[in-house]
Amino acid sequence: MTGNREQLLALRQATVSFQGFVAVDRLDFSVAAGELRCLIGPNGAGKSTTLDLICGKSRITSGEIIFRGEPIHTYREFRMARTGIGRKFQVPSVFRELTVMENLEIGCSREPGVWHNLFRFSGGADTERLERLALLVGLQDELSTQAAHLSHGQTQWLEIALILAQDPALILMDEPTAGMTAHETNMTAELFNRLRGQHTLIVVEHDMGFVRDIAETISVMHQGRLLAQGTADEISEDPGVREAYLGSGGIGHA
Amino acid sequence: MDFVVSQILTGLSLSSILLLVALGLAIIYGVTGVINLAHGEFVMLGAYGAWLLQTQFGWNVLASLFVIFLAIALLGWLLEATVIRHLYDRPLDTILATWGLGVMIQQIVRLTAGGELRYVQMPPGLSGSVDILGATDSAYRLFVLGVALGLFALTWSIYRYTTFGLKLRAITQNRAIASSFGINSGQAYRATFAYGAGIAGLAGALISPLKSVSPEMGTTYVVDAFMVVVLGGVQSLMGTLASSAVLGEASGLLAYFSNDTIAKALVLVAIVIIIRFRPQGLFAPRVRA
Amino acid sequence: MSGKLTRQFLIYGAVCLCILLVPVVVDDAFLLNKYARYLVFGMLAIALSLSWGYAGILNLGQATTFGIGSYCMAMFLKLKTVPVHTGSEGLPDFMVWNNVTELPWIWVPFQSTTFSLLAGILLPALFAALLGWFIFGGRIAGVYAAIITLAVMVVANLIIIDQQSYTGGFNGITDLAEFSFLGIDFDAYSASTYYLVAASLTVTLFLALAVSRSKTGLILQAVRDQEERVRFFGYDVALYKTFVFALSAGIAGLAGMLYTIVMEFASPTFLGVPLSLSIVIWVAVGGRQSLIGAMLGAILVTGVQGALSESEAFLETWTLIMGGLFVLIVLLMPKGLAGAIEALVRRLPQAGNGRSARHTEPDHRPETHPNLGGTQ
Ligand SMILES: Nc1ncnc2c1ncn2[C@@H]1O[C@H](COP(=O)(O)OP(=O)(O)OP(=O)(O)O)[C@@H](O)[C@H]1O
Ligand SMILES: [Mg+2]
Repeated sequence: MTGNREQLLALRQATVSFQGFVAVDRLDFSVAAGELRCLIGPNGAGKSTTLDLICGKSRITSGEIIFRGEPIHTYREFRMARTGIGRKFQVPSVFRELTVMENLEIGCSREPGVWHNLFRFSGGADTERLERLALLVGLQDELSTQAAHLSHGQTQWLEIALILAQDPALILMDEPTAGMTAHETNMTAELFNRLRGQHTLIVVEHDMGFVRDIAETISVMHQGRLLAQGTADEISEDPGVREAYLGSGGIGHA
Repeated sequence: MDFVVSQILTGLSLSSILLLVALGLAIIYGVTGVINLAHGEFVMLGAYGAWLLQTQFGWNVLASLFVIFLAIALLGWLLEATVIRHLYDRPLDTILATWGLGVMIQQIVRLTAGGELRYVQMPPGLSGSVDILGATDSAYRLFVLGVALGLFALTWSIYRYTTFGLKLRAITQNRAIASSFGINSGQAYRATFAYGAGIAGLAGALISPLKSVSPEMGTTYVVDAFMVVVLGGVQSLMGTLASSAVLGEASGLLAYFSNDTIAKALVLVAIVIIIRFRPQGLFAPRVRA
Repeated sequence: MSGKLTRQFLIYGAVCLCILLVPVVVDDAFLLNKYARYLVFGMLAIALSLSWGYAGILNLGQATTFGIGSYCMAMFLKLKTVPVHTGSEGLPDFMVWNNVTELPWIWVPFQSTTFSLLAGILLPALFAALLGWFIFGGRIAGVYAAIITLAVMVVANLIIIDQQSYTGGFNGITDLAEFSFLGIDFDAYSASTYYLVAASLTVTLFLALAVSRSKTGLILQAVRDQEERVRFFGYDVALYKTFVFALSAGIAGLAGMLYTIVMEFASPTFLGVPLSLSIVIWVAVGGRQSLIGAMLGAILVTGVQGALSESEAFLETWTLIMGGLFVLIVLLMPKGLAGAIEALVRRLPQAGNGRSARHTEPDHRPETHPNLGGTQ
């Protein structure tokens, strides 16, 4: 699958332990440019931690992380983000005291310098692009609403829009549909299918229906390791995967 | 030899005062996460309590201890119920509110008891001195050392061995989970705050015969106590004990070798450096953030 | 949105105009001097509002940089006194009393007007930049950062008192020359000094307004809200915080210089805990998230205090009242008077704009767990 496309991200023997507890264990994992990869696994498998490693929220204790040929695991968080990595967190985190539009302006971080931004005021060149983004996630009528007043699903979407405003090459999505209604989930699937090709996405999800809607390749993690990788059908046939999900009610309901 | 022993004794005496004053702050900070900047004023109130009871009713300090503990604990209980309770999720605002409360308490004392220095007499039975390994030390200072250690032991046992202590430990681990198991963290916080305040008052009363009593006296104590807590680690009572001992001895030596101002400045610089590089304290293991 | 901006400009402009016009009505020299002092405090409040209200950095040592600015001006004016000395070396009097025989090296550059005026702003800013880099570079935030700023101030204060032969110690630097610049004499008790302070205040206010309205200002508010999140968009959070910390210090330094001109001396009390506490109170009362609110809070509180200070007993009671007021405001009105007024204005029936009803205060978002501030 990754053979004929250019490799964008690779984790090599990535390991992290928290006071002796190994959350990610010698993980080898790579993603090609333009791919939409789903990452699934039972609770506590280490999915969020893996995303943390890629965006710098946690630090690997050994191994390496290569992004566009650079060993980014040595960079500080903001430098990692600037190389083109955006992250949506599992607990939706937006700036609650700011309005939707202001949130989007923060997301728009191509020029991250203090000095540069001292001479940028709202209503600048980006406004139109940001309004289009708001339209894309259905927040066009909420531009001057304080983010604290948005519903849960809207908050999720706002954070997705923030990442799109940032416009990174690689987008890490941690359970983007959690707490969304079925309708909202469908819209999100549609949105992701549209992003395919323009961005590289790694999506952590529990909702198998959603995963089937969007995935090309699925990677399954279990106990900090990569258990299996393949299409949705290949994965659900895999005996190892079935065993890992045993007791959590099968793969669809994990 | 005499000199060494007496230097150690001086240090121990300083340590015992530090421990007394810091204990209340440490408990409150460790359990509720509130840095109580009015802590020094609780100490000051305790000292004024001893003075008042002595001058008005002729009580000796020892006799007044229990009443003072109760009175200041009650005050702590009231302040928690009216002010602090509303601020647990706004840590920056707790230091402002407790600062404001401290100013008010100080001002009330100044307006009612006057700004001049007050003195409290030693309890008659303890005003003599004792010989230890060739050095002499005041019996009262030794008594204070004993009380400090006793209070520490008591507090530690409450924390370790009682169900209330178990609840406190559960809350400090994870407040949300603890409350889902039916532990009422609001009540536990209030009790902790009252207990910490009471101990501060007790400390003030015990110290009063050793120092002059004034409305401003709390300020130095809150700085000292805070330093003990920072050095010892936020959630470690043993750390508080260890850092009181170390700091007491160290400041005894510093005061012997250099001038007071520089000693004070050095102590503050040390606080800054510790906060910056080891915010979890010197004697605490690195905890998960 | 732009209507709101226009309204804000109008309000700010009107307030500044009123302040600038005071000498037209008042020509009592003592009153003008007093008012100029209040304006200086207003400037300090603006400085704190920038760092605390906008970026969430509670600086409990704002008076440190104020004091540095004030000492810069005092050193400069001391060297201008004729005769500057009691001895032959051109030394300030207190140095002679302390048997200093040669002008200390830190004093030498303050013979230059340009250096002194720049130093009064840039030294505090530089100091704050270094301190900010030390604090924020180590991811120290919240309560712990506040405590560091407080401790640093006390250290600075102790050093100044201790180094008597260079700083004048406890007494500070007194008996200064009159400040004169571009041919204008700024007698402390004159309209010209008042205008100098009022004009500086106006410039500062609009400068701060511009910063708060810029994208940098927006990013700082985002940092206040969710520091971690901002970092993952690629912003160097420590740099942003250090910037606003230094900017705030520069403003405080300017205020310090003006204060020396108005008071005609510099003293270690200018770097004191009581002043720093007062600044926090003014800003809390006026509204930490509103520049003009903070400024007016300072002018209002110090004004009332000044009016009451005629009687000593009353002043003591006033301190008590201030303490109580402060606790109440922290408890009930975290956004101060400005926030309350804003909420009131919003509640007025507004041209059938139904949406505005949604803009009520958000519930106060819990910050992280109490052990905050530590490295992550
Ligand atoms: N900072 C940390 N310190 C200690 N343990 C951690 C830390 N972060 C994660 N863990 C542990 O690592 C394991 C993996 O956690 P992770 O959040 O990556 O799981 P996950 O696959 O995202 O699960 P979920 O589906 O529930 O979100 C868990 O057991 C978790 O408790
Ligand atoms: Mg997860």
